Amino acid sequence: MSVLNYDTLVIGAGPGGYVAAIRLGQLGIKTLVVDKDKALGGVCLNWGCIPSKSLIQMAKTYEKTVSGTEKMGIKVAGASYDWAKTQEWKNGIVESLTSGIAQLLKGNGVDHRFGTATLTSSTSADFLDKSGEKLTINFKNCIIATGSSPVQIPGFTFDHQVIVDSTDLLELKSVPDSLILIGGGVIGLELGTVYAKLGTKLTVVEMMDQVLPGTSKDVAQLIERKLKRNKADVFVSAKAKSWKKSGDKAELTFEISGKDQTVTGDMIAVAVGRRPNSKGFGAESIGIKITDRGFIEVNEKLQTSVPNIYAIGDVVGQPMLAHKASKEGEIAAENIAGHKYSTRDIQVIPGVIFCDPEVGIAGLTEDEAKRQSKKIKTGKFPYGALGRAKSTGDIEGFARIVADYDSERVLGVEIVGTNASDMISEAALAIEMGATLDDIHLTVHPHPTLGEIMMETAKAAKGEAVHILNPKS
Amino acid sequence: MLKEFILPDLGDGIKKAVVLKVFVKPGDHLETDAPVVEIESDKATIEVPSTLSGLVKEVRIREGEEASEGMVLLIVETAGTGSVPPAPSAASQKAEEPGAIKVPPPASAGTPALVEVTLPDLGDGIKSAEILKVLVKPGDPVQADQGILEVGSDKATIEVPSPVSGTVAEVLVRDGDKAEIGRVVLKIVAGSPATASAPVAPEPAAPKTASPEVRSQAQPQEPATEPQPVSRQTAAPAAPSVRRLAREIGVNVNEISGTGPGGRITQEDVKAWSKKLHQTRGSSAGPVSGQAAGIAQKPLPDFSKFGPVERRSMSTIRYKTAEHLSYAWQTIPHVTQFDKADVTVLESLRKQFSPSVEKAGAKLTMTAILVKVLAAALRKYPQFNASVDMESKEIILKSYVNIGIAVDTDAGLIVPVIRDADKKNISTIALALTDIAGRARNRKITPEDLQGGCMSITNLGGIGGTSFTPIVNSPEVAILGVSRGSMEPVWNGSAFEPKLMLPLSLSYDHRIIDGADAARFLRWVCEALEQPLKLLIEG
Repeated sequence: MSVLNYDTLVIGAGPGGYVAAIRLGQLGIKTLVVDKDKALGGVCLNWGCIPSKSLIQMAKTYEKTVSGTEKMGIKVAGASYDWAKTQEWKNGIVESLTSGIAQLLKGNGVDHRFGTATLTSSTSADFLDKSGEKLTINFKNCIIATGSSPVQIPGFTFDHQVIVDSTDLLELKSVPDSLILIGGGVIGLELGTVYAKLGTKLTVVEMMDQVLPGTSKDVAQLIERKLKRNKADVFVSAKAKSWKKSGDKAELTFEISGKDQTVTGDMIAVAVGRRPNSKGFGAESIGIKITDRGFIEVNEKLQTSVPNIYAIGDVVGQPMLAHKASKEGEIAAENIAGHKYSTRDIQVIPGVIFCDPEVGIAGLTEDEAKRQSKKIKTGKFPYGALGRAKSTGDIEGFARIVADYDSERVLGVEIVGTNASDMISEAALAIEMGATLDDIHLTVHPHPTLGEIMMETAKAAKGEAVHILNPKS
Repeated sequence: MLKEFILPDLGDGIKKAVVLKVFVKPGDHLETDAPVVEIESDKATIEVPSTLSGLVKEVRIREGEEASEGMVLLIVETAGTGSVPPAPSAASQKAEEPGAIKVPPPASAGTPALVEVTLPDLGDGIKSAEILKVLVKPGDPVQADQGILEVGSDKATIEVPSPVSGTVAEVLVRDGDKAEIGRVVLKIVAGSPATASAPVAPEPAAPKTASPEVRSQAQPQEPATEPQPVSRQTAAPAAPSVRRLAREIGVNVNEISGTGPGGRITQEDVKAWSKKLHQTRGSSAGPVSGQAAGIAQKPLPDFSKFGPVERRSMSTIRYKTAEHLSYAWQTIPHVTQFDKADVTVLESLRKQFSPSVEKAGAKLTMTAILVKVLAAALRKYPQFNASVDMESKEIILKSYVNIGIAVDTDAGLIVPVIRDADKKNISTIALALTDIAGRARNRKITPEDLQGGCMSITNLGGIGGTSFTPIVNSPEVAILGVSRGSMEPVWNGSAFEPKLMLPLSLSYDHRIIDGADAARFLRWVCEALEQPLKLLIEG
């Protein structure tokens, strides 16, 4: 059995692992990154962020083409879509990005291999290459970046035909007539919205009292309203109980207000969360501590209980987001290279949701701030009052800013509306910089743009918004 | 029941504020959220609302006075029978913040609350810390935020501030103790300090160099005022690039007070803070100063890989010695001059006069004679009786002569001082030496015994050796090392004569003493030993 020697082994080439590997390469650390799948980029690139955004864009464009342009004087007759072509287009995007990562790794002097690694000690792993070759990898440091997998719920075992997961939803052979979605969270709603826009009858069954738990009520309500306009049925505080075959369809029984109801669809997608991939590759057998909830325990430098082994991304905890994993990859890599960097240095991990309309969140929501008994002031500003939003027809949505009452330091921003995902970065920067409401609204924002909403919202918090009347205090 | 209304945290690092207006007077009925006082900090004017409702019994603040966070402003008689849980006072809310000192709510009705002060979380996963210095003793009045303990972790020396104003009831730790985070270290009776008008104890300033108080080895200089970290409830307002800088150079960004708008921390603030920390740590107290100042200890290998090991904590004396010597070694450019004195005649004289000194209750030792000779030499060569003040570019010349004697005790090395050695005869010096050496070994030495040395003698002759290079006992500028005398053949011009030769090593601070002066100084010492009359004629 041949032996490979590296400074650092990175297990998993998702957005945590490959970013860590690139950073290690930049810092002159001899690094190997391995992944058990066929491609680099992990869930994010292959079965998550990137392909889903392609489908979301396609569905949005189709919806606009069919029904959103008449007011502008455009007449479209006989619009239709070719789903196979859509899939091909989407797969092309994924391929170009994953091959791009291979080049970036190579350019930074990082080796990569496909196969399965199993930790055998704190400095070695067995590796079964996809080619069938067995290898031993010796390392001084290791980064575990094994990610997460969809949670299965009892009674709803994934058969990938009728009971499907989020990956299946990205690769459906055809657009279903009807789709039942268990879980009204981010992943489910993003993909559910795609099919709803393409004509699928969507039913959402969510256990919590609102869709998109964690977002403010009024944000969730806006999303729910839009779903209903796409003819979706949305049930909240509803618990999926069982399903059975009914002809070539699936019938779901769920409980709502103590009563059972049924709904029938072509398939049932389960998207109720993801669980960390912390087992099955030797971590526990070499003494790495794993919490009751299955996360690998790490300190602020992202060291596990075995100090030369680090862990990053979904496998160490919430939020399970690609950009959080990437940041953690950088932190682990820099600590391995002898720099000092800590997760405590990060003030905010922003989140984005590609529903219709989009949602962007950075920092505390109003409710969270109140739960923490913070004395706050808030400002809210609607898209409808932005010239740019009016001229593009994107008048749905609003932004809300939460600031400390006395210092006016920005604590959080929520934006729901067109391009919210792009605009939330300004809020993230503001929070990282310790910016105040004044810092934001005194910055000239160009007109006419959707970005003006940050300036106006900050002004609104001070009772000085220009394009809406401020409530008399 | 009676409750205290405490000035809550005002946020933004505001610790003190002037009271502009007091809205309540004794006898008033106070409602929750009703304004109690209006205060003005340098940031803003704020109305402080009450967290209590009830009858105002006592108002402890007047308009125009300065109030600090945690200070008791009002005594309020609240409704209920005592089973009512106390309204969360600001102090107890603060206690939930990580890093804050835990203050249990006031204990019982009417009686002044006994506040247990626990060792606060020092961050960075530090589990325990050494109590370097207890700054207060039972009965002392303390003000909120006044330093009560100096603790050292492996990262920094931190002054722990008092969470409340009051009187120290009990001190549960001693200098040198190791204490776990969360352990109760002090008990304070909250309320107006015993002597209400007692001013806040000023921070011990670094002794300015003109002061005659020169510390000996075991008592290094007081640290310059340790920079006070800011305590914050939320993350410090600092840009990511600034936080990275702080992380890289190993300072806690949340302890820095910012000079930017809204207290924002700039790169310059981080650098200035780090410099300040290094200055105070470098000059003493910092637990890392046993190593080179500013140089982090290199990670140690796992010695147990090579065989069994045991970890023993350093005694306070050992630790202070390590610190002090590292400092002296780093700041003083050392040169050591060697010479030998012919003490053949002196030795026979010593034996001759020994019985009379012994009658007085002391031993006539070579050290006693050396103290006298050295005292005379310091009179003759005043630049050796000096200290250096690089900051003010001054040399401090002393017109008193105190000689330090290095004493090897079970607890470690200490350097007690023989005062006014130039005014004492050898017999008196011998008596003083016997007394001080005895007390040093019995641990009866007082801090005064260790202060004010001008130059030190370290005599290893009793053990052996031919020469060594002692380290100057900063802020002194020279030290005389004595090795074992031995009979040597000495050429007298026509033949070898057996002579008792005493090897001497003079280490000196080359900043203010030149080599030629050192050679002259040591030669003079040798000649005085060879020709005791020289002492009477020249000394």
